Amino acid sequence: MRASKTLVLLLALTASACGGGNATEESGAYPLKDVTMIVPFGAGGGSDVLSRTIANVIRELKILPVSLLVENRPGSSGAIGYTYVAKQKGNPYTLATVSVSFFTTPLLGASEFNFRNFTPVAAIAMSPYIMAVREASPYKTFDDVKKVRRLTTGTVGVVSDPVLLARMLQNASGITIDTVPFDGEGEVMTAALGGHIDFMLGNPGEILPQIEAGTLRPLAVSTAGRLLSLPAVPSFKELGYPIEHVQLRGVVMPPDMPQEALTFWESALRRVAESPEWKREYLDRFRDEPRFLGSVEFGKVLESTNTLYTEIMSELGLIKR
Amino acid sequence: MEPLILLGEGIVRATTPELLLATLIGVLVGLVVGVLPGIGPAAGTAIMLPVAVGFGGAAAIAGLAGIYYGAMFGGAVTSILLGIPGDAPSVMTVIDGHAMAKRGEAGRALGMSVYASFIGGVIGIVLLALLSVPVAQAALAFGPTEMTALMCFALSLVTVLGGRNIIKGFTALFLGMWVGMIGLDPIAGPTRYTFGFVALFEGIEFTVIAVGLYGLSEIFVSLGQETTGKLERYSFRSLLPNLRDLVECKAVLVWSSLVSFFVGVVPGVGSTASTMLAYATAKKYSKNPDEFGRGSIKGVAAPEAANNSASYAAMIPLFALGIPGSGTTAVLLGGLLMVGLQPGPLLFATNPDFVWTVFGSFWIGNMMLVVLTTLLIPVLAGIVFISTAFLYPIVIGLVLLGVYSIHYAMSDVTIALIAGAIGFVMLKLDYSPVPLVLGLVLGPLLERGVRRTLIVSEGNLSIFWESPIALGFFLLTLGVILIPIAMKRVAAFRALPPSL
Repeated sequence: MRASKTLVLLLALTASACGGGNATEESGAYPLKDVTMIVPFGAGGGSDVLSRTIANVIRELKILPVSLLVENRPGSSGAIGYTYVAKQKGNPYTLATVSVSFFTTPLLGASEFNFRNFTPVAAIAMSPYIMAVREASPYKTFDDVKKVRRLTTGTVGVVSDPVLLARMLQNASGITIDTVPFDGEGEVMTAALGGHIDFMLGNPGEILPQIEAGTLRPLAVSTAGRLLSLPAVPSFKELGYPIEHVQLRGVVMPPDMPQEALTFWESALRRVAESPEWKREYLDRFRDEPRFLGSVEFGKVLESTNTLYTEIMSELGLIKR
Repeated sequence: MEPLILLGEGIVRATTPELLLATLIGVLVGLVVGVLPGIGPAAGTAIMLPVAVGFGGAAAIAGLAGIYYGAMFGGAVTSILLGIPGDAPSVMTVIDGHAMAKRGEAGRALGMSVYASFIGGVIGIVLLALLSVPVAQAALAFGPTEMTALMCFALSLVTVLGGRNIIKGFTALFLGMWVGMIGLDPIAGPTRYTFGFVALFEGIEFTVIAVGLYGLSEIFVSLGQETTGKLERYSFRSLLPNLRDLVECKAVLVWSSLVSFFVGVVPGVGSTASTMLAYATAKKYSKNPDEFGRGSIKGVAAPEAANNSASYAAMIPLFALGIPGSGTTAVLLGGLLMVGLQPGPLLFATNPDFVWTVFGSFWIGNMMLVVLTTLLIPVLAGIVFISTAFLYPIVIGLVLLGVYSIHYAMSDVTIALIAGAIGFVMLKLDYSPVPLVLGLVLGPLLERGVRRTLIVSEGNLSIFWESPIALGFFLLTLGVILIPIAMKRVAAFRALPPSL
């Protein structure tokens, strides 16, 4: 009896201590404790490297009075990690980066939380797609491609940005483009270099080293204008096709985010995106292009990207209506 | 011979204290990763990536690569001692390695796994130095069509692994291929055989099945056995490796290292498939194939030489072309980027010192592993002295923890337990689990090859014999199947009494 009374007392004390803690948290300046960046994929992948580089730059710039911890919660094509973030309603101490699975996994019905269940914060880099053929290919410029009836290209997985772009190109040009799904970027590159597929669509990080080595030849880029790194290569728009699609490297937070925390992270990520450290450690290394979008603009891009994926996946019969 | 001189210089450069430490840490972590069931080299390198990048430069990549080939040494330990594959490339080691351990020859089997790993490693490193560039170019010739033909050839060889009953062998093979189809259809997209379970969307991890099928089933079987109360006696001699085995297995060792090296270069095939091919060829061309599966020392030598040799081969596309051919080399590619190097076809030309130093560290790491594992053999083999009443509960705990840690998912634990139950039934009904894992690994590769080829050719089948490489493999496949049948016919004809 006595023991249980002590226990009740202890519980009451703990409760009041916690309550007190909350009170100071509300009145004090954000952030008061360590912030966690969730990576819904395994270590070593693109999302993981992006998150860790953001954390590094934030540390070097001394933007946060607390630590930014990177935590991997992989599994089920990102569903486990993204679900965890979506359920942290209003928790200003959780962040995550956006990836293709962020859109496609909920569209496939493998996760109940889609992009509307997150608060867009900012985009801090942009990765365009380069259409490239192998050195021995008969296609020297995009004009050579226009004359053919049919082409093949590769993709990692069934739904990806290359699939999206190939569909857009097929619809715009009238060339039949068949996409062969592979299991990894390395296999797509092997197929392109070995001439087993006609062309590939890839990010600068994988394509530029091959172009510099003379093993791949660029034909077009997926941005509105030309790329700084490939000034001689036209964009699809220049060639007369209404195709523009890039991958934005962006950050989201859980839903119902307090304005204070959102503003904090928006300006923090702006500082990251504009810093020389970010240029050196991310943009130069992965050959991405500089780009910053704030919460509102990034939110619009999320919406339009989701529409694109929905269309393409309905066309492929992957979304049951 | 110039590459060998460069390799020698690389070895010298790799002896700086910093690089030695990074290599040592790498191989130690690799050993642990290999020994622990569930965590394989891909997960191991990924977990250590942030730490290794801190070493900077060649040391970072030396450490990460050390985890990869270190795991190939470590994987054999639990395979032999407990019959539980520590990682996917050591599945084939279970068959004869564990049979030897049960016979009281754990030390001998472990010893062979160390020698075989070392020899496979040395052959792999030398070939890596000599042939990186030409072999990398040749690997590009392997598209979906050639992959299909290679897989047909592989499956024709593995028919020799099906056990004594052909019907049972094929039943298990098809079961494995079916399990390999569970999850998202890799080509068309919709899910197959998931029965609405979201946990099955990404398919079933090979390691989860292998651990359950081999390890847990064995433990379940032991539950049903009556204890005799008699203490098993093992001599201390059994804890020691036997050098004479090395002489006996020299042909198998060299052959397995060569085969798996050339197969392992092809992106997407992986070291697991290489071990299966090496084991199958070793058995097929053995003088007494019947001893395989019953504790043959050659059955340990072949897969262990193979998985080490293949681990170096897998690095060729990465270093020579900038292409990651497997999950582990994809992590290494991330490591290269994070230490500020640009992987690609120009890496050899722009950073030769870096590349050769890393290759040099492989040599040193291989030496470290031989010494470390040789010293550990008597200690590890001592496990056989522990009563199963104490050992098995610990093992079950470790195995389930390992399986859980792959995706932090209880569903994987459930799947491992179900696989254990299936393995138990198979053992009771005298089905070999080997064809099942073969189907699970090679089946999806074959399916993808066929379907990718047919997308490229718009459904036209003639593409399969228009590729000379594919045609060559198809003819070899026919040879493997038809020649033994023809020889049996001839033998039967000659055996006929002359009066008939």
